[in-house]
Amino acid sequence: MQILFLKTVFGFYLLSTSFYLWHAIRPKISIRRSAFALFLAAFVLQTLLLLFRWYTAGYLPVTNLFSTQFFFSWALALCYLYFELRYRIHATGLFVIFLTLLLLGSALPRNPSIPPLIPALDTVLFTLHVIFSFTGYAFFAMAFSVAVMFLIQKRLQTAILPDLALLRKINEEAVFLGFCLFTLCMVMGSIWAQIAWGYYFSWNIKSVWSSIVWLFYGGMCHAKFIRRWQGTGYAWLTIAGFGVVLFTYLGIGLLMQSNHPLE
Amino acid sequence: MMRRIWSICCSLKLAIVLTSMITGIAVIGSLVMHFNPQLFGGLNALSWHQWHNDYGSRAPLLSSWFYLTGFLLMLLAINTGCCFTEWLLRIRSSWRKTGEYLIHLGFILIIVAYFWGSFTGTRSEGERFNIGQTRAVAALPGHYLRLDAFEPVMNANGRPVDMKSSVSLLKGDRIVHSGFIHSNTPLIYNNLTIVPASYGQETIGYNILLTELNRTARIATGSTISLKDQIRLNILEFQSDAYRVGDQIIARGTDAINPAIFIRVSRNNESIWSGWLFLREPLPLLLQQAGFDFVVQSPILRFYSLLTLNTDPGMRLALIGSICMTIGVLFALFSFYYKRQRGDRPDIS
Repeated sequence: MQILFLKTVFGFYLLSTSFYLWHAIRPKISIRRSAFALFLAAFVLQTLLLLFRWYTAGYLPVTNLFSTQFFFSWALALCYLYFELRYRIHATGLFVIFLTLLLLGSALPRNPSIPPLIPALDTVLFTLHVIFSFTGYAFFAMAFSVAVMFLIQKRLQTAILPDLALLRKINEEAVFLGFCLFTLCMVMGSIWAQIAWGYYFSWNIKSVWSSIVWLFYGGMCHAKFIRRWQGTGYAWLTIAGFGVVLFTYLGIGLLMQSNHPLE
Repeated sequence: MMRRIWSICCSLKLAIVLTSMITGIAVIGSLVMHFNPQLFGGLNALSWHQWHNDYGSRAPLLSSWFYLTGFLLMLLAINTGCCFTEWLLRIRSSWRKTGEYLIHLGFILIIVAYFWGSFTGTRSEGERFNIGQTRAVAALPGHYLRLDAFEPVMNANGRPVDMKSSVSLLKGDRIVHSGFIHSNTPLIYNNLTIVPASYGQETIGYNILLTELNRTARIATGSTISLKDQIRLNILEFQSDAYRVGDQIIARGTDAINPAIFIRVSRNNESIWSGWLFLREPLPLLLQQAGFDFVVQSPILRFYSLLTLNTDPGMRLALIGSICMTIGVLFALFSFYYKRQRGDRPDIS
């Protein structure tokens, strides 16, 4: 039943992406509206499924690969929805929808059953840590998407994409919001580590790279005040920052042993 | 001159340079750390000065990134502190940045707390406690920790998922704190945090079948076995793994490798022999004649708890820093939307 529901969500996102791409090639209000309506339908369905899974499990299910992919894809969709409603970015955030599709698509063949919660994860600090972490990552992904569009727009000067000033504004906003959420993620994770292990910072590669992500984006929140780094420089920094995020989330989880395994 | 030094200390560019340097060094350092666990594996289990003495000083090249990152973080904290002070001096005109500067303050407090705790705190990972055992807490002179009870929690498949230890912290003979310790529920007293690390089982004796007498008995410290001809065997001590050095018996460990018992044999309450007996060696003739011929049915096991006892004098300061950061984030978000709503983005040139 859940898989059927999930496939419907995936289908709606896929159709929405196709409509946005169509709109990018042949801009038409009706196409854009259809794309957004499909996206909204997919997001509402996904939110209902997430709430259903949360309710039936009794905890936010983010303890295995299927659940984290599902939750991360939802966070990405939420992030897109925020910017779409606020700035009407349309196809500018396509990368984020692609990521959503990728995560959902790779989650589809997996078993959606929810494992029982082990006592080590049975704390509200874990739930908050995960929520802030994935929503923070989602905003960093959006910043990356917008930064790439900024560089493309700077070169092509096309009417399809928003103007450079708006792209820069969205990029800075995405970085700022991502940084705020990631700060809360770090705070919750540290308090949780203190009560679970007796120290609030663990010397392992995941924790060090999470600190690197925080410092990097903290530095970026300052860099926007320096003229030389505004615009293009900031876009390149955003792209580099997302590389750091990708390594922290995927690289370490897949390639190295850490206390945050992906499986 | 002083003004110039101060403006360098408060410099935004300095903050960016330091952040970039820390980020770059930490990227390389994290990989060095990951691929040299023999050198950095103990960082979570030792205080910094212990780690420096035992590991860091012996591999200066590999550990140089660690010291350099620490030094640069201190510089960044000073830089952030100067920026924060500068903001405080002109708070009337820039109160809207309260959120951002609370994040700065939180960062400073956490860095100071972490250095303080890492240098002067103590780490003690996986200290073994038997049920009922009381041990001195090395980090808190005059304090003792007693394990009152222990119970592992298993899931439906029989796999351990949690460990529940009931402990009492004593100062002299007086209990100053007590409670249950399990996952996400530490015992915190002043700067001391006690969390469960693991648990194990040790063999403290055996259930046996006396083959000649055709009845069961226990071989464990304090047990008594009645044999033929009014002979009684009192087990005064059980060692699960012991070895003989001359006339001495030395306990080696808790794994049941070479079990031995110290016994007293008496007839009609009159002691006739006492000494150590290795259970894997042939029994004395006296005991064989009395019917002490047995097969082991099962070991008698006892749980023990492994607890981590860490002290961190900076712990509370770090918590205050975290609270500052959290409030700062909320303020910053509020002021961000407020400024955007007013079309007020004065910081962007």
